[in-house]
Amino acid sequence: MTLAATESEPERIARGLRQRDVALLQTLVQEYQYRLVRYFIFLLGTRDQVDDLVQETWLRVLEHGRSYDGESRFEPWLFAIARNLAIDHARKRTFSSLDSNDDDERDHASFSPVSNADSPFEQAARTEDARRLAESLQSLPPMIREALVLRFQEELSLQEISHVVGASVSTISSRIYRGLAALRQQIDGGDHAN
Amino acid sequence: MQTDGHESICRLIDKFLAGDISGAEEQSIRQHLGACAACQRYLDASSRAIAGLGGFTFGSDAGLHARIITALTVRAAQLETQQLSHRKLVWSYIAALILTLAGSFAAMQLGGQFANALSATRQEVHLGLIAVWIVPSVCFCLLLPTLPMLSKRWMHAKGVSL
Repeated sequence: MTLAATESEPERIARGLRQRDVALLQTLVQEYQYRLVRYFIFLLGTRDQVDDLVQETWLRVLEHGRSYDGESRFEPWLFAIARNLAIDHARKRTFSSLDSNDDDERDHASFSPVSNADSPFEQAARTEDARRLAESLQSLPPMIREALVLRFQEELSLQEISHVVGASVSTISSRIYRGLAALRQQIDGGDHAN
Repeated sequence: MQTDGHESICRLIDKFLAGDISGAEEQSIRQHLGACAACQRYLDASSRAIAGLGGFTFGSDAGLHARIITALTVRAAQLETQQLSHRKLVWSYIAALILTLAGSFAAMQLGGQFANALSATRQEVHLGLIAVWIVPSVCFCLLLPTLPMLSKRWMHAKGVSL
């Protein structure tokens, strides 16, 4: 039996990253490119510079690939890298909010889009319900949008999200409840209006 | 009392959707939903909201994938070159250390034989060798690994880039 046949998917990725295997990275880029774009848009609330951040994320994956142990899933590790980049990016954009003591408030201010361009959610909505949710998503704090996309689009567990975000599981749960409440209200409101 | 019951079930539904629920709690939701239209509507609206999150399609630049692959290939080559020069440096350091130790040992062995010619005692020659040759050589050898770091810092301070 060969080594390749016995190792799990995370182990295979970890081995490839240790060897800086560009072919493996190509398949990972293919698989995760859209998901990274979506994650950054949910986190930042803007389309600006998302492509650059995605590219920078993959360069960091290449440079720091040896720190991925292959024991846990690849996604939380990847999104943690992406998140750190987004924080660096937001810090470069704004400094005043970093002194705030309130976690949500600080993060909201740091990630708030500076441009007045159309909401990326309105532009990307393809269904009637998505169009209803777009406005609500744009006005939600970034940390809540992030929790929603990681839980319901990336299907990460609460523990995995907690690892990505660096917050407790109860904080993540609370963000998801708040997000769901806002989205539900939008769905309910739309139904009553029709 | 009834409202409290609904509220607690709605909280459990949120927990269920978030993936933070026990088997017993899930069972109690199922039992309640069978007989409660209001809570069923709450669950349906929540499920619709979650499904609605999948109704977005974010386009990305068509050339992004190619740009990323190019950047990765270039960076991987740079890292490979860096790694090779790092390995060379490590081997140079090991060689320098071995030569220093061997040279010091030979000097200590041979130094004593020249004591008479220098009109000094064997111990004085050894002390001289230690002070003038061995200690400076060993210090230089131990400082060798810090040279790339110092060189980088100097280049950074002068604004020089490779």
